[in-house]
Amino acid sequence: MELSESVQKGFQMLADPGSFDSNAFTLLLRAAFQSLLDAQADEAVLDHPDLKHIDPVVLKHCHAAAATYILEAGKHRADKSTLSTYLEDCKFDRERIELFCTEYQNNKNSLEILLGSIGRSLPHITDVSWRLEYQIKTNQLHKMHRPAYLVTLSIQNTDSPSYPEISFSCSMEQLQDLVGKLKDASKSLERATQL
Amino acid sequence: MLLELSEEHKEHLAFLPQVDSAVVAEFGRIAVEFLRRGTNPKIYEGAARKLNVSSDTVQHGVEGLTYLLTESSKLMISELDFQDSVFVLGFSEELNKLLLQLYLDNRKEIRTILSELAPSLPSYHNLEWRLDVQLASRSLRQQIKPAVTIKLHLNQNGDHNTRVLQTDPATLLHLVQQLEQALEEMKTNHCRRVVRNIK
Repeated sequence: MELSESVQKGFQMLADPGSFDSNAFTLLLRAAFQSLLDAQADEAVLDHPDLKHIDPVVLKHCHAAAATYILEAGKHRADKSTLSTYLEDCKFDRERIELFCTEYQNNKNSLEILLGSIGRSLPHITDVSWRLEYQIKTNQLHKMHRPAYLVTLSIQNTDSPSYPEISFSCSMEQLQDLVGKLKDASKSLERATQL
Repeated sequence: MLLELSEEHKEHLAFLPQVDSAVVAEFGRIAVEFLRRGTNPKIYEGAARKLNVSSDTVQHGVEGLTYLLTESSKLMISELDFQDSVFVLGFSEELNKLLLQLYLDNRKEIRTILSELAPSLPSYHNLEWRLDVQLASRSLRQQIKPAVTIKLHLNQNGDHNTRVLQTDPATLLHLVQQLEQALEEMKTNHCRRVVRNIK
């Protein structure tokens, strides 16, 4: 994990009981996690009365440093000992290290879900709907008398909101072919998970 | 159900008894070929020279024959109805038999060609799949995220189109379950009754 000087400086300030008393430290720490994980969080997260006495520039710097570190740690799946080592190097006392590790542990799952959801992927199928019809005639061809399916796949696209669905028609035989192939895929998946 | 032939149509077809059966059979072959691949006016000129008539006459003859065949195929009229419809043209028995044979021989193929003219959505052609496991990304290391990557082949108006999509294991099982239900529907009493009764 490579961290910038700015992060280190921020943490060194956080470690200092003179700049941040216990209460302020806890509040800032919680604020950092909240900014990252709470979808509704905004700038007001640092507006707590118990943080008013601290210089806003320092407050912002430490908040940014903490948030940066939390993201890096989450990205690399840092364990407790890695966290402790870094915090010790920043001159955190035992109590603050414990506090940080506990907060981190509590928020670890949400953090990993958030990080895992970032990134490009192929258009993702989320649902399917189908319609069965019986074709009787067209203006070009009478007495058709055959069943047909219309299948619509709902697609979620990270890149663009275009093409929210794909529709296609198929005969009964074609649908059987499609279902057969999807079943092969799911059986293969089952076998892979049993290895 | 009888075919209604317009006066103009009857005029065009009036050319047919003036040539031998071999020529009519050839016209029939040309008509079906034109349905398959599109018309080729040069053929009319060649035939016109050989038969010593104007190229328009040949064209009308072939077109009249084509229309006769496509309308009969579209409506799927019975042998008897076809014979009765053609009877009004006053052709020889031999010619009538030839026309009937032309109809019966080519009906299935003509219906297939006509079905391609219907408004159509992309239709399913094939599906390829692949099992993937995402191990890491720029924002998160040490992952185990299974996914199924799918290549869906579709046809539309003769164009072959492919879409590459992805889904997760849970959705895959959901897709299979939903589509199996769709297939089961055809076997229900309701659907069987509809199929039996709409003729």
